Amino acid sequence: MSATAQTITPNLGKPSLELINDVQQFLYREARLQDAQAYRDWLDMLTEDIHYWMPAREQRYRANPMEPDITHAAYYNDNYANLETRVSRTETGTCWSEDPATRSAHVVTNIEVELSDNPDEYRVYSLVAVYRNMNEDEEHTLYGHREDILRCVDGELKLAKRKITIDQNIFLSKSLNVYL
Amino acid sequence: MDMRTRNPFPADYHDYINTDEGWVDRRIFWEEEIYQQELEKIFARSWQFIAHDSQIPNPGDFVTTYMGEDGVIGSRDKNGQVRVFLNSCPHRGNKVCFADSGNAKRFTCNYHGWAFGNDGSLLGIHNEHIYEGYINKADWGLREARVSNYKGLIFANFDSEAPDLETWLGDYRWYLDMLLDNEEGGIEFLPGTIKSYVNANWKFGVENFIGDSLHAMWNHDSGAKAMMGGQSFPPAEQEGSYHGSANGHGWEFATDSVADIAILGQPEVIEYYESIRPKMRERLGEMRAKIFGSLASAAMFPNISFLPGLGTFRVWLPRGPRKMELRVWTIVNKNMPDHIKQMVNKGTMLTFSPGGTLEMDDGENWEGNTQTNKGTLTRQGKLHYGCGSTSRIDHPEIPGIVHQGQYNDANQLAFYQRWADLMNADDWDDVPQRNEPRFAGKPTR
Repeated sequence: MSATAQTITPNLGKPSLELINDVQQFLYREARLQDAQAYRDWLDMLTEDIHYWMPAREQRYRANPMEPDITHAAYYNDNYANLETRVSRTETGTCWSEDPATRSAHVVTNIEVELSDNPDEYRVYSLVAVYRNMNEDEEHTLYGHREDILRCVDGELKLAKRKITIDQNIFLSKSLNVYL
Repeated sequence: MDMRTRNPFPADYHDYINTDEGWVDRRIFWEEEIYQQELEKIFARSWQFIAHDSQIPNPGDFVTTYMGEDGVIGSRDKNGQVRVFLNSCPHRGNKVCFADSGNAKRFTCNYHGWAFGNDGSLLGIHNEHIYEGYINKADWGLREARVSNYKGLIFANFDSEAPDLETWLGDYRWYLDMLLDNEEGGIEFLPGTIKSYVNANWKFGVENFIGDSLHAMWNHDSGAKAMMGGQSFPPAEQEGSYHGSANGHGWEFATDSVADIAILGQPEVIEYYESIRPKMRERLGEMRAKIFGSLASAAMFPNISFLPGLGTFRVWLPRGPRKMELRVWTIVNKNMPDHIKQMVNKGTMLTFSPGGTLEMDDGENWEGNTQTNKGTLTRQGKLHYGCGSTSRIDHPEIPGIVHQGQYNDANQLAFYQRWADLMNADDWDDVPQRNEPRFAGKPTR
């Protein structure tokens, strides 16, 4: 599988305010690029070994839960090439459903930063709310609970792994044309 | 003035379609009255998909789904037999199961604690002594459907008068074997379901898969280019390509073996199918070995669809005349190596899920197809379904109603004809047989 970004061991040390600030700025910039649909610039914010994963939900009884698994159904279970494939669709000039363009607002909040045993990798939790408005009057709001690994590469933060957990059991819309 | 006074609803549902002139009345995609009739005449009487054996392999395993708007539980009982029953307590009507899937010995209603076994029988009631003398528990189980299985696909039907599953499928079994039986071991469903709502009439999903290859080249050009390194779909080729249908189930296809699988963007999956192609030829014959994997799409009446080779399998569950729930799974050959199965899994999610490079364009169309009919004048119009109206042929090898050329409206019209046949019929003797089955009483492999 493409999940090459390994899980990391948490380190109980306290992240510096400077690091927290850098992480926040990274996530806000990412949100702005998404809203601007500057997808190539967004791809530049990812490591080449990114695993970008949004598993399908299944409503189960507490007595027999089903843990998300990368071999199960997923909205996204992507490596870098897969994400680039998705982006390339919007650049073909024949992507009819994106013309007129979708309007979106990514709001990022609840950011937590954890150090790990690797001084260059941090676990970052955040909550993203995406408001989407498209066509004449269609509205859709999505919430994604994100668990990221950010990696410092040559002094620059990059997204190395993201798991997005959505709250909707049935996805309440015809398309998922925004990244969370 | 009332719309119905000016433009009355025909009593004969065949008046909503015209197979000779090639048109369909838009009202079948909008009107509540017609939808209610669909629930009664089609969904309450048709064999419908519940699950695949691989999704509920063990005693106690269950899934919940819908037949029409009736919620049902499909459960494997302690003897290994699959039972399907209404997900509604016969006491006050609440659901007895709120999970999508799982394993349970019993389903207990939250309201008063009526508990049902995974065979649907009423096992017990909370504080049952109060009921002594007032209930015969054997009479108050969950209403059960007939259940039948074709090569791993589990179907259910609440109509005791309906023909058996083999008759219902008819010569479509010849086609279905390409999906379910192209290799020893058959197929399996990979775990997990993607469920989504589309604000469209359920029939638009079915008719798209049953025969609409034409839209792919235009509508999915961006998806094709993304998945195939900048290439568009090959030009429309009517030679060596067909529409085939039986009993309203259809399959449109070319005979070049590889095109659909190529859309997955996973070359090793093509290599896998090529490696089993010689055995497939022995198993299914030359013609079906050439069809499987070609540019193709298929649907079964009333609401199942799949792309053979590419590996997406789905149902379109009606949620009113203007909304449906789409449930999507990935199917693979059971004997595939695990890493190939995962390539198919990744490929189907990348193409045919709500975020898929192809699927994202479909939902937009079907919502537009449906919602424009809000307009009174718009709804009075007809839709053109006349492409290929004179292309019917007899083919020595391909059974059912066959048309030359996969860019065609033939399967769509065959689907709507079956739709009208069932909408009209009060009993099964009134349902016409539109093609003489070649394989009645005979195996198709």
